[in-house]
Amino acid sequence: MGQNRKITFILTTISAIIGVMLAVQLQSNLHPLQSESRSITELRKVLLQEQEKSKVLLADISKQEQLLSQYQESLDSVDSIGVMKEELSRAQKQAGLASVSGKGIIIQIEQDPILNEQWDAENLPLPDPSNLVLDVDLRWLTNELLANGAQVLSINNNRLLSNSSIRNVGEKIQVDTKTIRMPYEIKALGNPDTLISSMKLEGLEEFFRSVNMKVTIEERENLVIPAFNGTKHIQHMKPIKAKGDS
Amino acid sequence: MWLPIVGLIAGVVFGFYLNINVPQEYSSYLSIALLAGLDTIFGGIRSHLERVFNVRVFISGFFFNTLFAAGLAFLGAFLGIDLYLAAIVAFGVRLFNNLAIIRRILLANWLNKRDV
Repeated sequence: MGQNRKITFILTTISAIIGVMLAVQLQSNLHPLQSESRSITELRKVLLQEQEKSKVLLADISKQEQLLSQYQESLDSVDSIGVMKEELSRAQKQAGLASVSGKGIIIQIEQDPILNEQWDAENLPLPDPSNLVLDVDLRWLTNELLANGAQVLSINNNRLLSNSSIRNVGEKIQVDTKTIRMPYEIKALGNPDTLISSMKLEGLEEFFRSVNMKVTIEERENLVIPAFNGTKHIQHMKPIKAKGDS
Repeated sequence: MWLPIVGLIAGVVFGFYLNINVPQEYSSYLSIALLAGLDTIFGGIRSHLERVFNVRVFISGFFFNTLFAAGLAFLGAFLGIDLYLAAIVAFGVRLFNNLAIIRRILLANWLNKRDV
């Protein structure tokens, strides 16, 4: 019996050892431990390949990011188109390329019929009315208007710009390159009260009466001054080169 | 008689519990040792059935077989000869031989019992 038990014990031990070996072998096969058996040159080659791959991937990433930022920019510019349009219309107004309306005054300069009759009665030769009002007078008038707060001016519906000219060409007055005739009608946007009072203070009516002209000043709540319709001479401005298509 | 099987199960559990991971290069030695061990076990069972079982032969067979199998495989790898394959074939053939003999003995026993 003792012998038998001993044998059993030995058998059990051996089967336990075999069990351990089995388990270890199974585990090793289920989760094989990766050991490196490749040569350095092979490894270097693989490393180079991987580096190449990562480079390509990085390039890809940067490309995608660029695309993303482009899309975002275009999204933003959808918002900014409204702002840009507003800005453009503001600039057009300032540059005189769009018609403007607002409070203002109209100054009419025309021949005074009463004075004409008097002159007629005294048999004096009637002067050409165009000769009586000179470019200097109109320049003075517009200058005074601007100095007293007029924002936008037009003479006989010819918009005055910052570089507009008023000059005598022969016996006629030209605004920019357009000839104007009597009666002169000057529109000015601005505070009507200050404009009218300043004109009176400057002696506008007396000044023109001396040349046989009648001046009437009217106040308007909604005065429309048309856009500049001549040709523009842009000398020093260049369009900015367009930025992409986005 | 069920104790060896209990021991086997306990060994498996213990082996998994140890959580040893044999590196790939030594895996073949372990497998050969395992094969030798299994061969010894089946040889023991066969000798038991043939009633020529000797504990000393069994124990010495187990340890010598496993160690020599692994050692020869290692030597073969060292010399550049695939003795590992030879060991696998040899132990494999012996294993199936033993299994066949065990099967025949068991079958004979069963037939004898039924005839009686």
